[in-house]
Amino acid sequence: MTAATAAPTAAPVRRARRLPTGWLLAAPALLWLVVFFAIPLANQLQVSLLSGDAEAGYTLTWSFSTYWDALSDYHAQFLRSFGYAAAATAIDLVLAFPFAYFAAFRAKRSKAILLAMVVLPFFVSYVLRTVAWQLILADHGWVVERLRDVGLVSADGRVLASAPAVIAGIAYNFLPFMILPLYVSLAKIDRRLIEAATDLYASRATAFRTVTVPLALPGIFAGSLLCFIPACGDFVNAALLGTSRQYMIGNVIQSKFVNVLDYPTAAALSFILMGAILVFIAIATRLLGTRTLTEAAV
Amino acid sequence: MAERLSRRAFVGRGAAVAGGAGLAALLAACGIEGTNEQSLAQLRRQADAVDHPRVEIGEWVFADWPLYMDKAIIRSFDRRFGGATKFVEEINDNNDFFGKVRQQLTAGQPTGRDLAVLSDWMAARWVRNGWVTPIDRDNVPNARHLEAGLTDPAWDPGRRFTLPYQSGAVGIGYDIRQTGRELHSLRELFNPEWKGRVTFLTEPYDAAGSVLVMQGKDATDATLDDELEAIELIGEANERGQFRRFTGNDYTTDLAKGNVALALAYSGDMVQLQSDNPNLRFAYGEEGAVLFTDNLLMPAEAAHPYAAEAMMNYLYDPEVAARLCAYVNYISPVRGIREILERDAPEIAENPLIFPPDEVRPKLQPYPSFTTREEQTMNEAMAKVTGA
Amino acid sequence: MGARIDLSRLRGGLLGLWATLVGLFLCLPVLLIVLFSFNDNRGRFNFTWQGFTLEHWKHPFADPDLAKALENSLLIALVTTAIALVLGVSLALRLVRHRFRGRGAAEFFVFLPMATPEVVMGASLLAMFLVMGFDTGFVTLVIAHTMFCVSYVVVTVRARLEGMDPFIEEAARDLGAGPLSGFRLVTLPMIAPGVAAAAVLSAALSIDDYVITSFNAGQTTTFPLFIFGATRQGVPPEVNVLATMLLLAVVALMAVNLLVQRALARRDRDRGWDEAQHARGAA
Repeated sequence: MTAATAAPTAAPVRRARRLPTGWLLAAPALLWLVVFFAIPLANQLQVSLLSGDAEAGYTLTWSFSTYWDALSDYHAQFLRSFGYAAAATAIDLVLAFPFAYFAAFRAKRSKAILLAMVVLPFFVSYVLRTVAWQLILADHGWVVERLRDVGLVSADGRVLASAPAVIAGIAYNFLPFMILPLYVSLAKIDRRLIEAATDLYASRATAFRTVTVPLALPGIFAGSLLCFIPACGDFVNAALLGTSRQYMIGNVIQSKFVNVLDYPTAAALSFILMGAILVFIAIATRLLGTRTLTEAAV
Repeated sequence: MAERLSRRAFVGRGAAVAGGAGLAALLAACGIEGTNEQSLAQLRRQADAVDHPRVEIGEWVFADWPLYMDKAIIRSFDRRFGGATKFVEEINDNNDFFGKVRQQLTAGQPTGRDLAVLSDWMAARWVRNGWVTPIDRDNVPNARHLEAGLTDPAWDPGRRFTLPYQSGAVGIGYDIRQTGRELHSLRELFNPEWKGRVTFLTEPYDAAGSVLVMQGKDATDATLDDELEAIELIGEANERGQFRRFTGNDYTTDLAKGNVALALAYSGDMVQLQSDNPNLRFAYGEEGAVLFTDNLLMPAEAAHPYAAEAMMNYLYDPEVAARLCAYVNYISPVRGIREILERDAPEIAENPLIFPPDEVRPKLQPYPSFTTREEQTMNEAMAKVTGA
Repeated sequence: MGARIDLSRLRGGLLGLWATLVGLFLCLPVLLIVLFSFNDNRGRFNFTWQGFTLEHWKHPFADPDLAKALENSLLIALVTTAIALVLGVSLALRLVRHRFRGRGAAEFFVFLPMATPEVVMGASLLAMFLVMGFDTGFVTLVIAHTMFCVSYVVVTVRARLEGMDPFIEEAARDLGAGPLSGFRLVTLPMIAPGVAAAAVLSAALSIDDYVITSFNAGQTTTFPLFIFGATRQGVPPEVNVLATMLLLAVVALMAVNLLVQRALARRDRDRGWDEAQHARGAA
């Protein structure tokens, strides 16, 4: 109302022209992905249907049995990968939420430092980071000895070369991916909404549960996706922090592709992995996706 | 509204057509080339006719592993021969490098590299498939300094296509404080006394080969079945919990930090590790040791073969070879450098890991030679054992 | 009343403690890497502390290949982030603001690169470059990195865009703002934190990438490629030195960014105060 009456000069109000801005916005990114991702991937689909060996070459035989064989041979690694990824994502959510909450709501001066701490590890190569963890968690190093003192590790036990080490490694690697979207989502919550809730006699816990968490859901969703999806295909942590009993499907794909040169199986495994992940995303989107949009529109 | 819809539909259809065409082109390049192994006789005929005339050495490309070359050697080469060597430390893994250039090799296109350093089994694969340029031995007179044991491998008889760069032995690296005694036999790796405190290698040539040596068999003459049996043995030991894990080069952290008591290890690493952990020792197995070698070779369609050969010749000059050995600390394939090093760097000349003692030398066994299919079967069996 | 204030402070304190611990957890390996750049290691491996030295800091760029590798990584990250931001923010805007046919499909499509194993993406991209006759190197690396960074940018910016009041933008349009100035003056400032986060994420991903890079690098070396290859011979402390320098540079950039933001905020606050005074005076 005030806007209309306060229209300053006599310049006519321009209706925004119907430029095809919609397509202009979306096209470049989509085109990039189609050319440099979809087409190569489609080629891999064809590769998964080849058969042969590295010596005679591979020819297109439409062998769908490769998929079935791959699944039955490596279902253990598949399940393990999803389990580890889920565990790591859950750990990351627990670690990240208070951190992001503190950074968004409580920290005034230390906000920048906190966020810097989240991002800095990336700028040091992952090889160096993982070797550093190997040094920190060495069987007779300071950290593990203290854990033995406290009783968390048995006298002849170890931390490295175990499933917890691999899960911890994955959680560590993807923690920033959980913190950043969470922070971004929490930071934009209007404090007055929470104030309003408490003014209306809601306890802090209820206000948190009914106002903060739903409004942070887009961040939780994004963070969980950014953690879980790449974690499923991870192989570095299992290779460096685990034993052969911890190897994930990423290790198998890497080995098949680079070592054994069994391209069809590697491609088939990749597509099974991607398919499974897409199913998970679809379920998660159904559970959380539409709700986030309606909550956020408040 | 109708206008917008039709344009969207047109764009959509156009994109589909373009995409389809691109897809068709990619699919037309259908299938993946096999390795098409040429007969060795055919290759040798090529090699007999090779002649790389002397030309000016300008810019040329030498691909090597990181930290595997003393850059001062490259600089002195350039100064002496007026070259402008482009030294690229781009090979960080045999398989990764092969993945990078595989398509060019199978298509007969130049790879852009004139000289590369590859491990035995990968070099053997390239020779088998004719992906190498024969060496004009007239340009490499210093090759006469090559150690006797390396002059005639099964996969490159007479060294027409490759020349060794550095060698190393696969033996037992152990922490004497943990073992409490000296170890001498490869059998210690399977000794239940060390259960769970041993690491083994993932590379089947090194791992299965060492098992064959341990059993008193000849690792160089091994058949695929021999290797598969050895891999089965390793698998059984792993099931029993004998091995903490399988490693590439990263057993070094476990040894240095005392996470394991012993490891199947590479000689060159142990030289370096001793300063991190003075309790570490290296022992050649009394049964013998697998000898791995990294080789210099010129990829097929190399643009500057004379320059590459000049470098090979330079590296086989005993003075230069001595410098390289002092830098890299592996076993040099060049004869006669020990005297030079006794003069300049005696601690290296005395080091048995760099100069294997006379009683060890005859027991050093280079890799066997397999076809690509056999190699693939072996790699697959080993991958299953290591959990991948 | 008093009890509630104490509880709030306790909560704040506990949260702060948690945040500090998580921060330390994140930075522990980083601290170790920085520390070991001062290690006086006699061998070629850098696993055990053998004494303090500044030797490695004297000539960190002595190895020209290592320096070149770092330089390449930084340049690639810079260019990649710039392109990925432009592409990603545009797509995110479109996805959130408008309902169009195939939006769901487009959203799924954007997630796919994150779900695909890097080994498959890298190798298939290399195959395509070769078929098209492209020489692998700097340009192909930028293309490949941008490809996987765009997804992360879209997801990060979306988290900020979703739930942002779209009516503010409509109001701006009603007031005569064209789409471009509407974006510049209204939308961009509101999503700025999301864009900043996406930029940092994209740069970090690019600098840290190994698998896709190893396939498409040609003869170009990057920092992670060099380090991975060096592990065979032992990673020299000079690598730790360069990594530390990179960290310091990033910290410095963030500090500068913080100061600039504070200065801008202060200027806006002062300007608002001046205008309020002016309005009061005029009335």
